[in-house]
Amino acid sequence: MELLWFVFFAVLLTGYFALEGFDLGVGLLLPLLGRTREDRDRMVAAVAPYVLANEVWLVAVAGTLFGVYPLLEGEVLFTLYPLVVAMLLCWVLRDAGLWFRRRLDGRAWRGFWDGTIAFGSLGLSAGWGMTLYAAATGFTASPVHPVGLMLGLVVTLLFAFHGWTFLGWRTPGTFGATRSGRMLVLSGLVAALPAAGVLAGALPYLLEHSAPPASLNVLSVMVLPFAPIMLGAQIWVWRTFRPGKDAFRVPSFF
Amino acid sequence: MDVLDLARTQFAVTSSLHFLFVVLTLGLAPLVAIMHTRWTRSGDPVHERMTRFWGQIYVINYALGIVTGLVMEFQFGLSWSGLSHYAGDVFGAPLAMETLVAFFLESTFLGLWIFGWGRLPRRLHLACIWLVTLTAYGSAFFIMVANSFLQNPAGAVLRDGRLELADAGALFTNKALIFALPHVLGAGLFTAGMVLVGASAYRLRRRAPEVEFFTRSLRMGVVTAAIGIFLTMGFGYAQFAVVDTDKYSTNVGSAISLAIMMEFGQLLGLITLFVMLPMIRSLHRRRWTHPILIAMTPLPFVLAIAGWASREVGRQPWMINDRLTVADAMSPGLTSGMVTASLIGFVAVLGLLAVVDYVLIARIVRRGPGGLDLGATAGEPRPAALSY
Repeated sequence: MELLWFVFFAVLLTGYFALEGFDLGVGLLLPLLGRTREDRDRMVAAVAPYVLANEVWLVAVAGTLFGVYPLLEGEVLFTLYPLVVAMLLCWVLRDAGLWFRRRLDGRAWRGFWDGTIAFGSLGLSAGWGMTLYAAATGFTASPVHPVGLMLGLVVTLLFAFHGWTFLGWRTPGTFGATRSGRMLVLSGLVAALPAAGVLAGALPYLLEHSAPPASLNVLSVMVLPFAPIMLGAQIWVWRTFRPGKDAFRVPSFF
Repeated sequence: MDVLDLARTQFAVTSSLHFLFVVLTLGLAPLVAIMHTRWTRSGDPVHERMTRFWGQIYVINYALGIVTGLVMEFQFGLSWSGLSHYAGDVFGAPLAMETLVAFFLESTFLGLWIFGWGRLPRRLHLACIWLVTLTAYGSAFFIMVANSFLQNPAGAVLRDGRLELADAGALFTNKALIFALPHVLGAGLFTAGMVLVGASAYRLRRRAPEVEFFTRSLRMGVVTAAIGIFLTMGFGYAQFAVVDTDKYSTNVGSAISLAIMMEFGQLLGLITLFVMLPMIRSLHRRRWTHPILIAMTPLPFVLAIAGWASREVGRQPWMINDRLTVADAMSPGLTSGMVTASLIGFVAVLGLLAVVDYVLIARIVRRGPGGLDLGATAGEPRPAALSY
């Protein structure tokens, strides 16, 4: 049972990196590739239908952390207090930018919220690298260690590359690249690699610190029957918004 | 303020902000779903416009519900790690289910609904908003299970200094839950109903051209508000059967919040059930009522926060009633500096975003159902008014 929940947890965390990775990557590239307002609109419109379905993977990670590794949850979040607060604020700003950017038409309004998307994406990406470094050291080292900062840069670059690959898949040729679905899967796997590495290292520790069987049983009975529905809903998103002629038929809400 | 007060303030502010948006989400979701159903069945353009107009208000409101919820979820680990340490094996289960079973699906289906406009087959698109509604109510259920456990730690036993889940059935049929859940859901319906009423009254008073649109919305709002306040008051009084009323004699904050909620809740209930409901056929014509209806719109939000304040302050000094104090639940080693810095950050960012969000909602109401972003098609002109 502990192993089953570890697999569930690992899928959620690596899934978050592979999926939200390209949302953040496109956010990072917004000031670089989005020279005109129309370009930026197309970049955001490309990720828009996926964002809500992608970012919930982290909400699910946090929920699983609370339910399956309750002792770890408080410890991890508290040890990284300033970093977690900064990453939360970045996440909030990125989301607000997406929801608000098209609500008014003014130049300053659009520019400001596009700025919060890029800033939030940068903070979150770099923060993830630093978090993974701290996790790899068993939360003994400060995340602002030179290696932590370097890992922050690596994750940021990986996400940017993943975002660029995504744009090449969903809007072929528009931003300089055309990529196949297979390439997108590959860059997703690469984006998830740092998280997968840390998870593999943490396997024995996590198995030992799982919630007791009674709690895991209740969680299993209540949650696992929904896992196929969760997966099905995600597949539905990817089937509905696959690239094609109608990718921009509808003006995007974000 | 010492570090405990600061940490409590932070949670109080973020959770109150969160609920301001959630209470409207809970009530508005089924209403938008009903409008969408009517549109799918009849194909009548007025139903389409109602779905898009109230749907856009719903999703703009939802945005702040998400971001305030994120901050809340992570605050458990940041400030209150003592709670997961002591009771995580029990309290964590409903919280995990909320995120995994309910919110994960809610957010996925909402994305499909917003961006699936004109792309999904009509009936599947309609199914999305009903699934959003269903999972939103699922969320409310699991969150209320978790909160009710703090009020009344049923189904748990103490072993080696930590709580363990002994009886899952008792956790999900907690006496602190069974009357409180419909009370909260009723409050959501009442709030959404009053928002429909207030916004429609504003448009009708301005002699907006969409008389049929806002007359229908007004009537739907009155019916919803009546159902909502009836449920809220009924299940509110029913809670006295299970609530320990002794606490009101010592806990002034809880008693005052309760008094405000009940006093004004009853008044609003009387107005809704015995004035607005009987006048439902003519309310759109009686222009003298419109300023009153507009002025009443914010009250359900205030009462909802008062209700939560009474319930949560009423538990002091306990985090988990009779088991764990708030002071013991605080993360050991938390300093005033840490909480002050994050408090300023969260309050400044979330507070500003909340203001922006309400301004955007007010603009949608002021501008009426023309030129909406939700469900817009490429050929549809965006009005010039958008560019100022």
